[in-house]
Amino acid sequence: MASANKPINTDVPEKDVFALHFLQSLSNLRRQNTFNSPEKTNDRVKKIKKVAYVSMARAAGGTNRLWSRALLRRAAKENNKVVRFPRRKKRVTCLRRRRSNRRDPVEEEEAERLRNLVPGGGGMEISKLMEETAHYIKCLSMQVKVMQCLVDGLAPK
Amino acid sequence: MDPTGVSGARSNGGGATREATGLESLHLGDEFRQDNVGGGFTALLELPPTQAVKLLHFADSPSSSSQAATVTGIVPPLHHSYETLTFPSNSALLMERAARFSGETTTSSVPSTSSVKTEPADETNSSQAAVNNRSGKRKDSDKKTEILKKKKNKSSEENEKLPYVHVRARRGQATDSHSLAERARREKINARMKLLQELVPGCDKIQGTALVLDEIINHVQSLQRQVEMLSMRLASVNPRIDFNLDTILGSENGSLMDGSFSGTAMQVVWPHQVIETEQSYHQRQLQQPQQWPFDVLNQRAWGREEDQVHGNDSANLHPNQVKMEL
Repeated sequence: MASANKPINTDVPEKDVFALHFLQSLSNLRRQNTFNSPEKTNDRVKKIKKVAYVSMARAAGGTNRLWSRALLRRAAKENNKVVRFPRRKKRVTCLRRRRSNRRDPVEEEEAERLRNLVPGGGGMEISKLMEETAHYIKCLSMQVKVMQCLVDGLAPK
Repeated sequence: MDPTGVSGARSNGGGATREATGLESLHLGDEFRQDNVGGGFTALLELPPTQAVKLLHFADSPSSSSQAATVTGIVPPLHHSYETLTFPSNSALLMERAARFSGETTTSSVPSTSSVKTEPADETNSSQAAVNNRSGKRKDSDKKTEILKKKKNKSSEENEKLPYVHVRARRGQATDSHSLAERARREKINARMKLLQELVPGCDKIQGTALVLDEIINHVQSLQRQVEMLSMRLASVNPRIDFNLDTILGSENGSLMDGSFSGTAMQVVWPHQVIETEQSYHQRQLQQPQQWPFDVLNQRAWGREEDQVHGNDSANLHPNQVKMEL
């Protein structure tokens, strides 16, 4: 729809929110008995990484953002949990029409790579994809800051 | 009765010119005025006689605001602009008013172009300066209404086809719906690209969308790799430290559901400029409340340093880290 542009909203909550979610999930992880065994580091790594992403998704927007929704759905599928999201009006028909409308070969290549990187990018049009990417970058950098602080705080000196 | 007779004759002549201009604007009126008070053609035809009468009244009593309201029944809000212009009851001004009103009626039917409405006001202001030259004024106002109509034509055509697009096409650009939609889409994409450029460091200097996108993709990849690296480090560090977070988080869970640290006394000493770090967070939990003022000072220092080098933070932590590890 060629309507007037509303200002693009890419607000990301403060660092505290990310920190809180991450620490919560970390403490949940620690409660698992199999976690603290020193041998299986790789599994721990994977779990921590997954936890990091999930907590980031929850902290950043919950289910309001497409990428966070896709992330959470992917994670839930791994755990065989069913996740229910509040149904929002999906303009699927408009999407389909637009995708056939305009295909710029130079941009589409890059857009394809972006789609692979950003979770949930498969069904999106370029403008929406860029919006999600901007928010994703902000959240990622916030999460990196949080984790960096944590690691620095706990690192043996 | 003489002045009224004279002005009556003049208004008739004015009515002729009014009809001339009215006819010019008629074909436009037919196009886009379907739901007007009297219905396109008839409304315009109704106007001149009523306007003649009202304009006469205008000439007699210049401060007739209510009559202005009744005359411009089609254009109720616009009469305000003419209240402020106090015209002497000059019959010469009747012509001007006629042209103005005919311009007004056509503008009233184009709802979205507010900038067009200012043009008649500009017209009157500029033509009011040269009050005495009646014929010259007539030509001027005619010319201006012509230009006005041309511009309106363009915008009204666009607004016809796409009523929800309030875009004024520049002269010479295509106005069919496809190119309009494409142009809007292009603008959207460019706006978002600018946003992304601001986010990713070092992207402003690059020209061309492909390279910028490359840079963005690299940035996202590097961030994801950083997350992976940090999670590896955390995994190696983890078993040593015994987080006593359960109690901390359990107590604060209720108040923190909405994602903001409210409801705790910490909030009072926690200005938003201070970037809170994990260390300081742990500090606050593990230390006694009497030490909070000390805490605040420390945190402010950390907040300032934290952005620069993370190593400083860990250096600050040594005395307190022992407590944590217990």
